[in-house]
Amino acid sequence: MLLGMPANAIEVRNIFKTYADGTPAVKDVSFDVPEGSCFGFLGPNGAGKTTLMKMLFGMVKRDARPGTRVDVLGFDPARDELSIKHLCGVVPQDNNLDTEVNVGANLYIYSKFYGIPSRDARERITELLGFMELREKAKAKVGDLSGGMKRRLVIARALMNRPKLLILDEPTTGLDPQVRQLIWDKVRSLKREGTTVLLTTHYMEEAYQIADSIVIMDKGNRVLEGNPRKLLAEGIEGWVLEVLDEDAMGAFGDAGGGGLLSPGVRREDGESRSQFFSEHPEALREIATRLPSGATHLRPTNLEDLFLRSTGRQLNEEQ
Amino acid sequence: MKSNRAYPPLASRLFSVWYRHFRTYTKDLVSNGFPPFMEPLIFLAGMGIGMARYVPGLAGMSYLQFLATGLVMTSAMFTSAFECTYGTYIRLEFDKTYDGMLAAPLKVSDVMIGEALWAGTKGAFFSLAVLVIISAFGLVNFAAALLTPFVGFLTGFLFASIGLLITSFVKNMNHFNFFFTGLLSPMFMFCGTIFPIENLPPPLQVLAEFLPLTHPVRLGRVAAMASGWHASLLLDLAYTIGVAALIMAWATKRLEKRIIK
Repeated sequence: MLLGMPANAIEVRNIFKTYADGTPAVKDVSFDVPEGSCFGFLGPNGAGKTTLMKMLFGMVKRDARPGTRVDVLGFDPARDELSIKHLCGVVPQDNNLDTEVNVGANLYIYSKFYGIPSRDARERITELLGFMELREKAKAKVGDLSGGMKRRLVIARALMNRPKLLILDEPTTGLDPQVRQLIWDKVRSLKREGTTVLLTTHYMEEAYQIADSIVIMDKGNRVLEGNPRKLLAEGIEGWVLEVLDEDAMGAFGDAGGGGLLSPGVRREDGESRSQFFSEHPEALREIATRLPSGATHLRPTNLEDLFLRSTGRQLNEEQ
Repeated sequence: MKSNRAYPPLASRLFSVWYRHFRTYTKDLVSNGFPPFMEPLIFLAGMGIGMARYVPGLAGMSYLQFLATGLVMTSAMFTSAFECTYGTYIRLEFDKTYDGMLAAPLKVSDVMIGEALWAGTKGAFFSLAVLVIISAFGLVNFAAALLTPFVGFLTGFLFASIGLLITSFVKNMNHFNFFFTGLLSPMFMFCGTIFPIENLPPPLQVLAEFLPLTHPVRLGRVAAMASGWHASLLLDLAYTIGVAALIMAWATKRLEKRIIK
């Protein structure tokens, strides 16, 4: 083993997972997560994101293959999952709080799993409730908390042991925009303090907001990877004009466009909408003028468009 | 250099799981503490008022004493069997409690053994509750019977291990009916709780010796009466501990496969 800390918090080489029923969930994925960075797995439901994460702390067994190597904070989850879990905080997809006891007791019970002495645990609980803005809720019943508060409590719980690596499995799914912003802020501030963050999400916006590097997965494969801003800049035009009213497209005829498109504009026809992509919003505005007003929407492209372009499918489609 | 022993040692991990169950259970102590005292009270009052006078004493005690000291361990059996079947299944499949616990530095075996230790504690508590009631009836001498909760713990642990094993096979909560109606109810009747197994036809007596309730009931009755000590009780003790350990190991292995996919 190397002396000192590795520069990467996580190194994964050629990892595979096939479930007992034969379903291949992850196919040959490799990635590195540098210490102190935020790494995001994106993809539709069923893309293999959660499976991949669970393999990192031993909740899912990876396929035994000679070429596979997994190193999480210096340990291999197949051999030493307790050491990894001792250094990690995990926010699972489901909240699974102890509804019988109050907010503070939920954290206190969890502190015992880490063997934290009672006095330290109480101090840490006060600190965490403050950090997650739940201070007034210490004595509240879990059942009385809103969805966003429950989620914040689960995050506080994952921070109990001051983790070096925070694993977030869909941290903001189903939450309202304010809570999502708050959670993103907290993740950013943890990152500033040096915590490595691993994130799964099917919200492109979430990845764009907090991840330094992303892998977009689809059906167990990697589709794209890199810095989200760079990917966007290099992978797709800057602007898109969406035509929401199919009838309005009559003016353009079939996909060829009959030479009506100016150079640098790309047209894509979906099932219920057409899109024009370009680096130049003016070119798209010009197209819009030729269509009925109100039938078009001009906006900057996002990772969702990139995903669609790479896979031919919408992100939120069930597989 | 990194130490491989940064995470808490086994005893601390088991305690933390036990503590989780202790806290969630005792949160509602009034409603959770009601049945273990009430059930033997109802049962003994009914039997004592209605039935015991038709039945002669046996094995050197009144029938009501026989029944009461049998109830001490069936109470431990039922609470622990419920905890580690329905309770475990709900934590496993619906509440996803184990997903949360296993994100902390715990192994599946820590979680399951901690769970059985908690069920054993409940067994001890329930047998103590019955002891309180039956000594209030003047059926046993409370102060002399204080080994009973210890037997209650072993009984609880034994039926926790059996419950966990059953749970590891179950895909649907209704399947527990086979366990409760098919195994626990007959044991309640035929393992020496309500009448001595010597009253059974000889082949069934042999069968009763194999059933897990027979041995804790025998131990519990002697502990509660604080009399009738005999060297053969060591066999009952060995059965109770040995079978619990074997089944626990098997159950843990199966649940590991079920949880870690």
